Amino acid sequence: MTNDLQLNKTVSVPKAVKPKKKRRAASLDKRKARAGWFFVLPFIIGFVAVYIPIIFDSIRYSFSRIKIIPGEGFTITNVGWENYRQALFVNPDFVKTLLSGLQQLAFDIPAILLFSLFMAVLLNQKMVGRAVFRAIFFIPVILATGIMESIEAQNVLGDYLDDPDGIADGSGQSVASDIVSAIDIEVLFANMRVGTEIVEYVVRAINNIFNIVNRSGVQMLIFLAGLQSISPAIYESCQIDGATGWETFWKITFPMISPMILVNGIYTVIDSFTTDSNTVMKFIANEYTKSSGQEVSSAMAWMYFMIVIVAIALIAAILSAFVFYQRRD
Amino acid sequence: MNAQPTAPRVTKETKNKIKVEFERTPLIERLKAKFINMAFVTDVIWYIFRLLLLIGIAYIVLFPFYTKIAGSFMAKEDFVDVTVMLIPKHFSLDIYRFIILENDYFTAFGNTLLLAGSTAIIQTFICCLIGYGLAKFKFKGAKYVFLAVILTMVVPHQTLQLSMFMEFRFFDILGIVKFLSGHATVGNIEWLNKILAAINIFPAESKNAILKGIIADGALNLNNTYWPLIVLSLTGLGFKNGLYIFMLRQFFRGVPDELEESAYIDGSGTFRTFLQIILPLSVPMLITVFLFAFSWQWTDDFYTKLFFTSSKTILMPDIVKIPTTLETNYAGQNLYYPAIRNTCGLMIIFPLVILYAFLQNFLVQGIERSGLTAD
Repeated sequence: MTNDLQLNKTVSVPKAVKPKKKRRAASLDKRKARAGWFFVLPFIIGFVAVYIPIIFDSIRYSFSRIKIIPGEGFTITNVGWENYRQALFVNPDFVKTLLSGLQQLAFDIPAILLFSLFMAVLLNQKMVGRAVFRAIFFIPVILATGIMESIEAQNVLGDYLDDPDGIADGSGQSVASDIVSAIDIEVLFANMRVGTEIVEYVVRAINNIFNIVNRSGVQMLIFLAGLQSISPAIYESCQIDGATGWETFWKITFPMISPMILVNGIYTVIDSFTTDSNTVMKFIANEYTKSSGQEVSSAMAWMYFMIVIVAIALIAAILSAFVFYQRRD
Repeated sequence: MNAQPTAPRVTKETKNKIKVEFERTPLIERLKAKFINMAFVTDVIWYIFRLLLLIGIAYIVLFPFYTKIAGSFMAKEDFVDVTVMLIPKHFSLDIYRFIILENDYFTAFGNTLLLAGSTAIIQTFICCLIGYGLAKFKFKGAKYVFLAVILTMVVPHQTLQLSMFMEFRFFDILGIVKFLSGHATVGNIEWLNKILAAINIFPAESKNAILKGIIADGALNLNNTYWPLIVLSLTGLGFKNGLYIFMLRQFFRGVPDELEESAYIDGSGTFRTFLQIILPLSVPMLITVFLFAFSWQWTDDFYTKLFFTSSKTILMPDIVKIPTTLETNYAGQNLYYPAIRNTCGLMIIFPLVILYAFLQNFLVQGIERSGLTAD
């Protein structure tokens, strides 16, 4: 008898619990999924109700002419590829600006990445006054944006106070304000047998340093965060094995920071393509203010955006080949 | 055999103290060992090199601000005087005075404070919600939502400026306003169009400018109000919001799940857990995002130019102009005008400098704790 009772118990208990447990687990997952939707709801509403119409309209406008009629709304006439044709073949400066802008970016992006990585590594070391230096280097992130950028762009005074000779030629650009000249660097590198291209690149980077420092603030922050997340234990074991600082950097820091290089690479591309001081952006913004230039500027901006996408895809493809992901369990 | 160290010699012994003299290497030898070797020399050289480098770059960052400050205190005469370089000779506060008096500095300050403050708070909270939702919940389509966030980050805002202007010039969600004001039409079905046209909940003789606009256009005209920016902020589409969402998502992924699990077990709902457990521990990160959102909105001249087409609402970018009293034709003009514009810039960023001085500690902290990882 007792045996039977026990058997009943052992059988009945899992029977009663099992389906219940399963259902509950599913509902928790569902509830969490629902909560997830709830949290991203503002974005989804905005994306569907505001952003998609904006994108859609922007594409439509780039193919049409718009007339605002007071009291009636506006009329849109489809003109096909006319705006694109205007931008590419009629407008004398667009293609030229686009090419020189792209060239400038190809030059700027590696410089910004290298500089911000270097500065982040420096600022990550323990030293006196680290907090002060950090505070100073992040100033441009906060202060050198938007209106300040456009003020800076027409700031002849800075150049003048730096070097009064430059003002004389009336161009507003100080000829003598270059910190170093290619010849100086060439003397320095003479024995290293590096190509003139590299020398010119370094010279340009140094003379452009203000611009580069100003634009690498966020990247510096991201790198610094990445550096902070590397476990000190790895460095310690490295030190015990007798690795030099140079080796530690290339064997530990660099691979561990490589995902951040990808993130920063993409961010830098986006940032430099969309910042107001970008020559192409300035050109498009200027075009926008001209009469009936708005649709053409829309077309220009879309062409530019396509190039941005291609550039991001390229950079992501190149950089992700070098990215090392640490396995975490 | 003599290498054996001699035993410590007791020199003095009292009841509870004992003084022992060990045989020690002389001081000079010790100093020599410490300071005259390669490791120490390279350390010192590296230290000096690093310090010089940092100071140099700090100089590059700070020098433009110095030239602006110096220029802002100069009198007109100083700009034609070749001997005046970095220190004003005739100290003057004219530029400041006329910017405050004639460029409506304080009106701009109040308006921008309202605008930047409200959008920054909304953006911080909304981006926090979205970032948290993307980081902590696994739901179908989370990937696509994240892709959409990245898309909003990638599309340059200049691409959208015309359509964004139009969207808010004729603002209407899903045709509701159009329907209510009787502007809706359904193809060529006459009788239905007539019924739709008869619907009009807005009083026709209204004097309110907004209502008049609705009746005329069948849509809201939100331009020249704060609403476009607030709507964009409420939906996480504002300036650089993609970046904030990304940053916060990475941060929340670093927060251990156990925290929330224990809250759930205690019977707390997801939203309450978010408000009472997650938000308080992410304060440095929130302040970082707030600082970004606030200062980028403060100095923004893209959206303000786009949405504020009339000159009724004076915002910070509008004060960058030459005060009429200071207009001049004399020789120093080509330096004097930039100096005035620089001063405008200085006055715009002055509140930000103070804010930054207070919050920069959180900025570094927030970033350090974010544990940003790209996976």
